[in-house]
Amino acid sequence: MIHEPLVLGIETSCDETAVGIVRGRKLLSNVLSSSVDEHARFGGVVPEIASRAHLEAMGTVIEAALHQSKVTLNEIDAVAVTGGPGLVGALLVGVASASGLALGLNKPFYAVNHLAAHVSVDLLTHQLPVEPTIALLVSGGHSSLLQVDDITSSITKLGESMDDAAGEAFDKIARVMGLGFPGGPALDRESVGGNSSAIDFPRGLTQSSDWQTRPFDFSFSGLKTAVARYLESTPNYNRADVAASFQEAIVDVLLLKAIAACKKTGIDSLVIAGGVAANARLRAVAQERCENSKIQLRIPAPGLCTDNGAMVAALGSLMVSAGRAPSPLDAEADSSLSVTTVSLV
Amino acid sequence: MTVSLVIDTSTSRTSVAIIDDTAILWQGFRDGATAHGHVLPALAQEGLSAYSVIDQVVVGMGPGPYTGLRVGIAFARSFALARTIGVIGICSLDAIAALVTEENDFIIATDARRKEVYWAKYESGMRVGNPSIEYPLKLSESPLQIFGEGAAKYGIGSKSEILYPDLRAMAGLSQDSQNWIDEPMYLRRPDAVPTSERPS
Ligand SMILES: [Zn+2]
Repeated sequence: MIHEPLVLGIETSCDETAVGIVRGRKLLSNVLSSSVDEHARFGGVVPEIASRAHLEAMGTVIEAALHQSKVTLNEIDAVAVTGGPGLVGALLVGVASASGLALGLNKPFYAVNHLAAHVSVDLLTHQLPVEPTIALLVSGGHSSLLQVDDITSSITKLGESMDDAAGEAFDKIARVMGLGFPGGPALDRESVGGNSSAIDFPRGLTQSSDWQTRPFDFSFSGLKTAVARYLESTPNYNRADVAASFQEAIVDVLLLKAIAACKKTGIDSLVIAGGVAANARLRAVAQERCENSKIQLRIPAPGLCTDNGAMVAALGSLMVSAGRAPSPLDAEADSSLSVTTVSLV
Repeated sequence: MTVSLVIDTSTSRTSVAIIDDTAILWQGFRDGATAHGHVLPALAQEGLSAYSVIDQVVVGMGPGPYTGLRVGIAFARSFALARTIGVIGICSLDAIAALVTEENDFIIATDARRKEVYWAKYESGMRVGNPSIEYPLKLSESPLQIFGEGAAKYGIGSKSEILYPDLRAMAGLSQDSQNWIDEPMYLRRPDAVPTSERPS
């Protein structure tokens, strides 16, 4: 068992070709090349464009990460890669690149879960043990509440979105407001100076009956419809107010449920991870409410919330330190890998 | 003496070989159009466990169905990076053409999916122009014999066994820099359908 393993992590589950290197819990480099501009004109990620871009950028991104870290490939103790979930064609480029590296170097190979990696990146920011904790994972593809007893082996799903992911709702509302793609940062900017209680948008699955049957699940489709309807019926709407009120509705329901999960399980620790965790309003409200509820809150630095290679390296590093078995080189990338499966075996 | 790790994933077959100049030290393949991703590392691992010292990587750059093609190229490039050795890309159709001995002028066609083939014409055994895409029926109007997996699949070829790239031929082709290709041969533009608009 290596105490502070040097791990290179590759992430290609969506439109970022990302490579990060960590030593133990220390971040050495985090490099990415994004094809987001090529997707923007289509209003969403085009899988084939993403996959082509991954192959094109991979070598350069790996070399840049090594250069930034001032390490050579020969020093690497293990290679980690996102094995799923994600776009299958995109995942395959990353997995093939990682298995080629691992085989070439004769070093262990870890094909890990993208969602677990989002949660584990927190250790690079806060240097504290990650578990046990409740994790709120919010991104363009996922909104889930997890109970993490051991990030390398034991993750339980408490609830998830019944329809759109939180980030997806941001994208769709940004699109109807003509704010462009990706929608999260655009709405975040637009909401500045807006009145977050100007419009009372619905909070999905927060009726008292919902707390009985689906306490930790989310639903954002009603909110999306309500915003669209409001925009239609209010021609001279105040953009900042709409953005702020919409954002408030999402943030409110995410945190209501996350804090309820902490209380229900008796775990007074919350990690918020995923691209939406970069949202300024979510960060601010989370801070305030967790303080009130005496919950220790951890949110990775904004640059580590969105997809990146360091989070994959971070989880790989934890796997090595915990003595977990590597993945076989012929592990199959799984586009719908469940969050409860931390690595491919 | 150059020992090459040779890889091709441009057809439904995943092929790996370790070749010393043109002498085959080890080779293996597996069929399955969606299997390249997990089959390739397993085959390479098996071959390398017998012959671990490699001087260069030679990889088929297609044309071929994209996902499988990319698996081969991504793997080849990163293996070469890890070993600090070179990687040479070869047109996969040329590595099928090398197997044709009974004709001077012929066509090689592989499966491009969507009822189309990737193809190129060869005169005196040499490729004429760049590969392109065509409907099988259109190609069959040619008086030339057609070889390759696409010809067999769409019933436009001779009853030949010449279907997949020959890795020994690829190693041979890698010796002449005129045959080197840096970029994958996609031949089609990406279908621009964002994930958000796909039927789920
Ligand atoms: Zn993500």
